[in-house]
Amino acid sequence: MLAGAGARGVCVAGVTAAPAVSVLIHPLRTPTTSGSDAYIPVGKLAQFVGTTPVKVDLFSDTVDAWNRAVHVKIGSAWVRQDAEGQLVAMSTVCPHLGCAIDYDADNSKFICPCHDSFFSLDGGVETGPSPRGMDSLEVQTEGDLVAIRYQRFKQGTDAKEPV
Amino acid sequence: MWAWLEERTALPGLWRRFANHPVPGGPRLANVLPAVLVYLFVQQAVLGVLLAAHYSPSATDAWASTAYLNDQIASGWIIRGLHHYGTSAMLLAIVAYLFSLAVSREYRRPREMVWIAAVGLLIVTMALGVTGNILPWDEQGYWAAQVELGIMEQTPGGGALRTVVQGGAEPGNLTLTRLCAAHAFVLPLVAAALLTGIVVLGRRAQAKQAEEGTVRVQAFAAGQLLIDMLAMVLVAGTLVAVTISSHGSELFGPADPTSGFQARPEWYFLFLYKLRTFFEGSLEPIATMVIPGAAVSFLVVVPFVDGMAGKVGRLGVLSVLGLMLAGVVALTGLSLSQDANNESYQKAMAQAYTQAQRARTFALDGVLPQGGPAVFQNDPEYKVRALYDEHCANCHELGGLGGEEAPSLTDYSSREWLAALIRDPNDVRFFGGTKHDGMSAYTAQGNVVDEIEPLPDDQLDAIVEFLWRLQGESDVDATLAAAGQTLWDDEADCQNCHEIEAGAEGSGPNLLGHGSAAWVARIIRDSSQPDLFGEEAQMPKFGTDKIDDERLAELAAFIVRQRAPAATE
Ligand code: FES
Repeated sequence: MLAGAGARGVCVAGVTAAPAVSVLIHPLRTPTTSGSDAYIPVGKLAQFVGTTPVKVDLFSDTVDAWNRAVHVKIGSAWVRQDAEGQLVAMSTVCPHLGCAIDYDADNSKFICPCHDSFFSLDGGVETGPSPRGMDSLEVQTEGDLVAIRYQRFKQGTDAKEPV
Repeated sequence: MWAWLEERTALPGLWRRFANHPVPGGPRLANVLPAVLVYLFVQQAVLGVLLAAHYSPSATDAWASTAYLNDQIASGWIIRGLHHYGTSAMLLAIVAYLFSLAVSREYRRPREMVWIAAVGLLIVTMALGVTGNILPWDEQGYWAAQVELGIMEQTPGGGALRTVVQGGAEPGNLTLTRLCAAHAFVLPLVAAALLTGIVVLGRRAQAKQAEEGTVRVQAFAAGQLLIDMLAMVLVAGTLVAVTISSHGSELFGPADPTSGFQARPEWYFLFLYKLRTFFEGSLEPIATMVIPGAAVSFLVVVPFVDGMAGKVGRLGVLSVLGLMLAGVVALTGLSLSQDANNESYQKAMAQAYTQAQRARTFALDGVLPQGGPAVFQNDPEYKVRALYDEHCANCHELGGLGGEEAPSLTDYSSREWLAALIRDPNDVRFFGGTKHDGMSAYTAQGNVVDEIEPLPDDQLDAIVEFLWRLQGESDVDATLAAAGQTLWDDEADCQNCHEIEAGAEGSGPNLLGHGSAAWVARIIRDSSQPDLFGEEAQMPKFGTDKIDDERLAELAAFIVRQRAPAATE
């Protein structure tokens, strides 16, 4: 008797439960937000001479679930030439917990003000809680234009893994 | 374990009371209706929470978030559809319940409050339907809101009421946040209270009946429970079938206050909608308030009318209820059949469906933060139009808008445009606003001063047809074009300035392919190329830094598309 009622109850509940699960796990199956994974132009070569880092903002079209936005700031990066004259770019997002990393010009170091992580000019951790050095970003030059591919990485882990 | 739970929560005891509840007369089909109502209500609540988890109640985001759930989340349309049809199912179940009570006269002592609660639930469920239909802020929701708020305004003090409900003088963000709060919190709480009343008070009356010992009783779990659950399964199955076969609930295009969408209310309000048409102007409140008000008042007092009217009471109540139902059915049918035969309405609806399809396809790319109708900015046509507005509209007129510093692009390079240009190139429609004045006017009379021979209409037509062929058009009158070519080669002045061999330079632009998309694209890039306008060119150049090749091709195609369709087909 009760088993029959139970079976019917499962049927009735399943009508809602099945689509409910499908809808709720949507973000596991499909990305709901996206920025640009293409290279974003940030300036001309001449802006980035020398080893002193220059901060650039990255703008891109984004999609956030049902909205699309045109040309919004999606992040920023520190750009400089390394000892060999190669252009390098590093994300301003701190690998510890994601605060914005600043440049201390007096001491030629990067510092994260939140929990005092210090990074050398090439991005390595000197002191502080950051589990890894600053995250480098891919740089491309085309003619005299410099472009950066912006990515976010998992925070708090030793390994640099894109999210 | 039962004892452990019993000691701490009393749950087992409650379950026993629920399961052993005495059902007078044993299991009855009519008894399933309250159970079905409870099932539907709980399902609506769960579905409602799922909808709320994906809905953004703002004038800019409501439509976009609904479209996202409906079209981009797997099974999202099922959630919407079930919730939509669930309201209809509830209304049908409530009406059936009211009639079952009326037929068995179970609105009498001690069940008066059960009846009144059921009438209340009917009204609250209708209110849930009205508020819910507005929330997606699509054409249907927006325009239905206009009508419903308009009716509200006709009540005494209604102007203020409308402003409060609407959250201002115009519908907007506050309308949606307020209606959403009413639909998701206030009305469901009231409905839950009324439904609890129906179930608890109904059971109380049954228990009393059982105590009297005049009828046979059976424990609820021994029979009625299974029938109840069977009814739920049947209702659930029907809901699923209706949802899937209609592919969920309709979502029209985003609310557009200028569209004049022909809104119809949900089917359960069609009778009121139709009733209004019989009372025009100042009589309208009779249909919107007096008659519905009287009907509701009658429903509320039914239990007492029956008692007072003695022997005829039951018959009287049943016949009035029957008349009311017949009236509703007749008006609903009338409204449906009139719409089905109303050609202009059908046409408008077909248009609305097309528009909805376009909007929802564009919404797949994401809706701009301006929201709603901004979705149409995803239209490639819109993008190229924006490009045109940015770069061309300052000097070139198109469709009555734009500058007069350069030739009009309305119907650009059509036969008529070409003929008019030859007749008077220095008119503002053509080169009048520019410093290009090298071409003479070739009128039918000619011009003695400039030694221009008369150009009769038939010759003009032939030359235009020849140019039409040079342009690369397909619908060429071959004989006429051949005549035009002969004129061109022999008598006409044209070839003195205009070359028609690829790349050849003349004092005027080379006319091979003039007016074609490729030609227009070359002009936009650089009209000072030697075979075009040469050094005299006045139009600015648009290099790849301003317009890349792909967008240039789209822009040129757009300009060519402006020619009257008949000419390009
Ligand atoms: S977030 Fe940068 S140090 Fe903690």
